[in-house]
Amino acid sequence: MAVRTIRVYPDPILKQVAEPVDQVDDDLVEIVQDLVDTMLDAGHSVGIAAPQIGVLQRVMVVDVSKSKLGRDNNHGLLEMVNPEIIERSGSKMMREGCMSVPDYTGNVTRAEHIVIEFTNRNGQLRVIEASGFEAVAIQHELDHLDGLLFLDRVSSLKTDLYRRKSK
Amino acid sequence: MNHFALTIVGRDRPGIVSQVTEILFKQGCNLADSSCSILGGQFAMILILGHPEFTDRASFGDAFKPLEDADLTVALRVLKPGGEIRSHIEGDLCMISVYGADKPGIVYRVANVLGEKKVNITDLNTKLVGTEDRPVYVMVIEATLPEGVEEEDVDNWLSPIRDELQVDITVRTIPTVEL
Repeated sequence: MAVRTIRVYPDPILKQVAEPVDQVDDDLVEIVQDLVDTMLDAGHSVGIAAPQIGVLQRVMVVDVSKSKLGRDNNHGLLEMVNPEIIERSGSKMMREGCMSVPDYTGNVTRAEHIVIEFTNRNGQLRVIEASGFEAVAIQHELDHLDGLLFLDRVSSLKTDLYRRKSK
Repeated sequence: MNHFALTIVGRDRPGIVSQVTEILFKQGCNLADSSCSILGGQFAMILILGHPEFTDRASFGDAFKPLEDADLTVALRVLKPGGEIRSHIEGDLCMISVYGADKPGIVYRVANVLGEKKVNITDLNTKLVGTEDRPVYVMVIEATLPEGVEEEDVDNWLSPIRDELQVDITVRTIPTVEL
């Protein structure tokens, strides 16, 4: 189990559509664990998708429970394999940053409530209802599985894209 | 590399961007930030551009003459070194929407309050909508708040304008999230 290097745009893998996972095996367990390890190592991160560590499979992890915005409304650590949003409603704008697009943040409007179906690393099916920051984080990571970055969701460069403060 | 700010305004029609950028490309200019928009019946372009050799207005020679011949107004500002770099503005991002029946002073009154409170306006757009006999004025401001200033503070500061000018004002901060 390992912390992997985070791929950064213009790495072409970030613009590719990830393949569905068709079997539950040790490889899957390893991908999930590497995602968790890499997310924790990144410190500030609340989620990461497999293409960001160079794996073109529909796997992602999200955990907003340690962040100020998600502390009071979350499902803890979510390991999501073949996630699919089955219902969405409302809208919420946040200024998103992404580990794969360093230095910039952009305003993105996403659904405020979602119902999402996925399996975990053991193949068990889960359906959860997420809202607020957790819902935004899930949608952001799910976009990575479809080769989409927040830059694809920004509507106006003038008002929506910012250089991030230097760390 | 020397930098310039170029503004071009003229009656809107298809082909303005193409004509302008062809000239800039052939002159060897590099475009950086730009904003081009239709305002009323006019198309307005503002561009920050660089050139490895050009130093002043004279360097461009009569390159902009075809634009002037096409009834476009062209203005060039020579930037001092570093004038092309956007300094980082600290603070929470805040969107302010103001709208109501059109009357004089809406922009000024709001901008005045924000300026006094050191709120930095980074983008401002206004539009006159509604009908001829019932014109409605809409303004959207994007601003960064000084440290320690909250959404509610801005709302309170603008509140007197609400009553006085009979306009609706909403203030909302947009949280920044790291994903």
